[in-house]
Formats: sequence, structure tokens, C-alpha cells
Amino acid sequence: MKFVRRYAQLTPMASSKRIIWVMGVLLAILTVLGPVYLLVKYSISDGASINTGGRPIPFWPLHPTLSVYGYLFSDRHFYTVLGNSLIIALLTVACSMLLGVPAAYILGRYKIPGRRLVLLGIISVRLFPDIASVIPIVEFFIFIGAHQTYWGVILSHTLLALPYVIFIGMGAFETIPQELEDQASVMGANRFQTFYSVLLPLAVPGLAAAAIYTFLLSWDEFIFIYFLTFGRQEMFTLTLYLNGLKYAEPQNLLAATSVCLSIPVIAFSMVVQRYMVAGISSGSIK
Amino acid sequence: MSTLNNQVMAVTFEKCRNGVLKVWPLLPAILYLVGFQIIVLVYLLLLSFSSPHGNGAVPSLSSYSLILSDRQFREALFNTTLFTIVGTPLELLAGLVFAALLYRSFMLRNVIRSLFLIPLALPALVTAMLIYVLFDYPGGHVNHFLLGNYPPFPGVIAEPICWRASPFTALLLSLIGKVWRDTPISMLIILAGLNSIDPELLDAAKSMGASLRQRFFRIIVPLIIPSISVVVLLRSVEMWKEFIFPFVLAGRYPFLGTLIDFYYNETGNPHHAAAVAVIMVICIVGTTLVLYKLLDLLKRYAVHP
Repeated sequence: MKFVRRYAQLTPMASSKRIIWVMGVLLAILTVLGPVYLLVKYSISDGASINTGGRPIPFWPLHPTLSVYGYLFSDRHFYTVLGNSLIIALLTVACSMLLGVPAAYILGRYKIPGRRLVLLGIISVRLFPDIASVIPIVEFFIFIGAHQTYWGVILSHTLLALPYVIFIGMGAFETIPQELEDQASVMGANRFQTFYSVLLPLAVPGLAAAAIYTFLLSWDEFIFIYFLTFGRQEMFTLTLYLNGLKYAEPQNLLAATSVCLSIPVIAFSMVVQRYMVAGISSGSIK
Repeated sequence: MSTLNNQVMAVTFEKCRNGVLKVWPLLPAILYLVGFQIIVLVYLLLLSFSSPHGNGAVPSLSSYSLILSDRQFREALFNTTLFTIVGTPLELLAGLVFAALLYRSFMLRNVIRSLFLIPLALPALVTAMLIYVLFDYPGGHVNHFLLGNYPPFPGVIAEPICWRASPFTALLLSLIGKVWRDTPISMLIILAGLNSIDPELLDAAKSMGASLRQRFFRIIVPLIIPSISVVVLLRSVEMWKEFIFPFVLAGRYPFLGTLIDFYYNETGNPHHAAAVAVIMVICIVGTTLVLYKLLDLLKRYAVHP
């Protein structure tokens, strides 16, 4: 009760205004969650709840069933696809971290001349349209023989993820107090020791967020994988598998595949949300 | 004099050498990004300015003149322009509304903010598929809703609409998906702008007798104009770049992003695809410059009306 009273003091508002505000929040929540709920509902629907023969589609399936998931996980091709998605995403994380973490360390700890320019350049790389850079990159990969290979896809995904790794990682290194670094050097640690045993462990939470972000970026990337594997079925990832379903298959299968694609993303996003929010917000103020 | 110069040069060289020794961990990432960007630009220009027929070595404008005379390209340019002009303000508006709802502090604010971020977390392809299913013909949820099959909501149409059968409604679906997915980004940027306003400023204005209207237009609006500018600039770029929603929802109707796919993968013509890509980049740069000027004017006007 005390809590409620304090809350009321915090937000003095006329009751009519409060009602409008509450309605607004509820409507917004409905707009956001409604479609997501319907996606899950479709994935557990039986055929009769989708092809209703003119009757309105129910908001809860007539006979909820997990049979579509059963079908999906009995399909051998689905496991190949899942494996492809995982391999590509994990190797993309490895490459991006290998390139990105040292860069983030320098940009986060040193006042180098032209730092702003470097950061601006990194952002503007991300503003260049993927759909425009995919053609030259595919042509280049055809030229060097990396077209329709895993390495081609991984290199291109690394290109997409690297700016984010640098930015998120830079934030992680920036927040570590200078005194720790000074003390380490007073105690005779060289630069690499300081980096490896003092800075890196402290930056791990931020770097983990960067790694998860990279994983997700590669996991649901579509444009590059679509162009780079065009027509080569055995390299398909989950996004391409889903895209292949859109015109022919029953809608509950479409929805179930969508749910499989989204679950890791939603789960991990909740973990890295804090960093994502900070990244988007700080980018807008600076 | 020359010895002095030499000395200066030696010192500068020494400084540079030390600098490079110090910052070398930065170099691989930068070289990777710069290298790929150079490859992208060089290949784009080479491809788009070489002829698909003949030896391909001569700089030629034939790709550009061919696509400019292609009705499909002109429609794509028109559709994408319209998409950007309508979509950017819509995303800004949705972001403003969501940010305004979350501006007050209340009990579950952080939980609700997390909920509002879900569209951003969902893969774009999944959102597109979701729209695809909900707007199905003849029996999607939306058609049933508009037909009045879910009481108490009244019916507003007599026949179900085949949403993907006309360019206008198909692009409308793409726009709905795009705005639904991107609103959290606009919301976060505007929210950050709102939160950076010092509450004491508003209290001071209130105690000096400023009305709600005055406080809104004289304090809040001028102070969040930088955030609004960022939203407008970033969102308009994203609108031009859009590929996935039209690809899934409006596959048969011309749109710049999907036209690149069509020229490259369907007709096997990288020259035309590259020319479209170059024009897309020009559109983005042009829009950004114009918007930047306009927003600058707006900023000056809002701060000193």
C-alpha cells in the first residue's frame, strides 16, 4: 500500500488523462504482442482451424496440436539446414571477435588522432545498402572462387557484424577505470599482460553481448546468404528454408518454422537488450 | 635549414612509427572494412559503366540508358520514392507515440519497454511471413476482421480483399510490416532524447507560469529535435534500402531493392543490377543531403521562432 501511494505521488495525473494513457499503453501492447501471439497460434493449429471453409478463423485453435513441429523435426533436410545456420553463425562470431576485439580495445582505451573520423567511417559502412553491396561482393567472390562456399558467407557476415562488435566492444573497454591499467603497469605487467589479465576479463560481459549480437545477425541474415548460395540447396540456412516454404506449404508449417527461427533470437535479445538499447541511444546523442 | 627539416622529419617519422606500433591491433579490422568497401565501390562502378554486350572494357552508359527506358525501373523508382515519403513520417509518428507512452515513470515501465522491443528482435523474414499469413486471401485474420466476422467489430468490406494482387495493397503490406518492425528503434532514440531533458527545466518553467502547451512547444520540442533529426535521417535511408518485405509480400511489383534481385538472379544481368544499385545509393545520398538541410532549418526555426 505504501508502495502504491508513493507511485501515485510520483505520477500525479488527472483520472481522465490516466485512463487515456492506460488505454494507449494497452493498445500498444496489443499491437506489439497480438501478431506474435497469432504466429504461435498458427504454429499449433490443426488444418481445420486454418482452412475453415468461410467461417472466421478462431483465435485459439479448435484442436491444438504440435504435429507440425513433429513433422519439422523428422525432416532430415531440416537438420542440415539447422546445422548450416549454426556453423555459419558460430564461425562468423569467431571471425568478427578476432578482428573486432583488438580494434575495440584500441578505440576504447587510446586517444588516437582521427578517432572520430574512424568511428564515422565505421558507421557509414553500415549505412551503405546491403542490397547494393551484395552484387559487387558476389561478383568478387565468383572471381576469387568463394561463391557458394561457407567461407564466402562467413566473410560477408563478418563484414556486416564487425562495426557492431567494434562499437559494443569499445563501450565495454571504455568503462574500465584507468587506475587499474596504471596499477598493472606499476606492478610490471607489459601491455599484452595488462590487456589479457586485467582489461579482457572486465570487458567480458560487453564482449559477450557483442558475440551474441553477431550470432543473431548471422542467424537471421537473408540478403547475403540468398545471393551467395543462390540455388544451392545443401547450403541453405534456416532463413532460406523458411523463404522456400512461403508459396507452397500449409500455413502452420510456415508458422512453426518461423517460431523455430525466432526462439533463439527472442531469448538472446532479452539478454543483450541492455547493450542494444545503450548502443542505439548513445549513437543518437553523440 | 635542411638539417632542421630532416630532424623534424625524423622526429615525425619516429612518432608515426611509435603510433603505428601502439595502434596496430586496430589495423586488421579497419583494413577489412576499408578493403571490402573499396572492392564494393570499384566493382559497382566498373559493372554499371561497362556494357553487357561487346568487350565490356569501354566506359559506357548503355546500362543506365537501358534501365532508364525500362518501364519496370521507372515504376520501381516511383514506388520506392513513395514508400520512403510515406514510411519515414509514419515511423517517426509511431516512435513518438510509443516514446510518449513510456516517458512517465511507472511500475512496470522496464518490462513494458522490453515488450515493445520484441518486433525489433523478431527476424525481418519472420515478420514478413507473419504479415503474409495474417493478410491471406480469402481467409486471413485481417479479411475476416474487416468482413465483420469477429463481433462486436462491424464489417467494413463486403468481399475479402486479395492484398497481394495489386501493387498498391502489396506495397501497403510491406509498409505495415516495415513500420511495425522498426518502430522500436525510433522509440528508443526519441526516448533517449526525452530522458536527456532535465526535469528541473520543466519544473522551473511550470513555476514561472508556463502552460502545458508552452512547455511542450518551447522546451520539449526544441530539445528533442536532434533525436527527431536522427530518426528521420536513419529511417529514410532504411526505407530506400528495403528489400525483404517487398521481396516476400510484393514480389511481382517493381521496387528498387527487389529489382536488383530480378536483374541479377532472374535475367542474369549484373550490369543492370549494378546500375540500379548505384542509382539507389545516389537517391540515398541525395535524400540525406536534402533532409539534413531541411532539418537544420527546422532546428533554427524551433529554437528561435
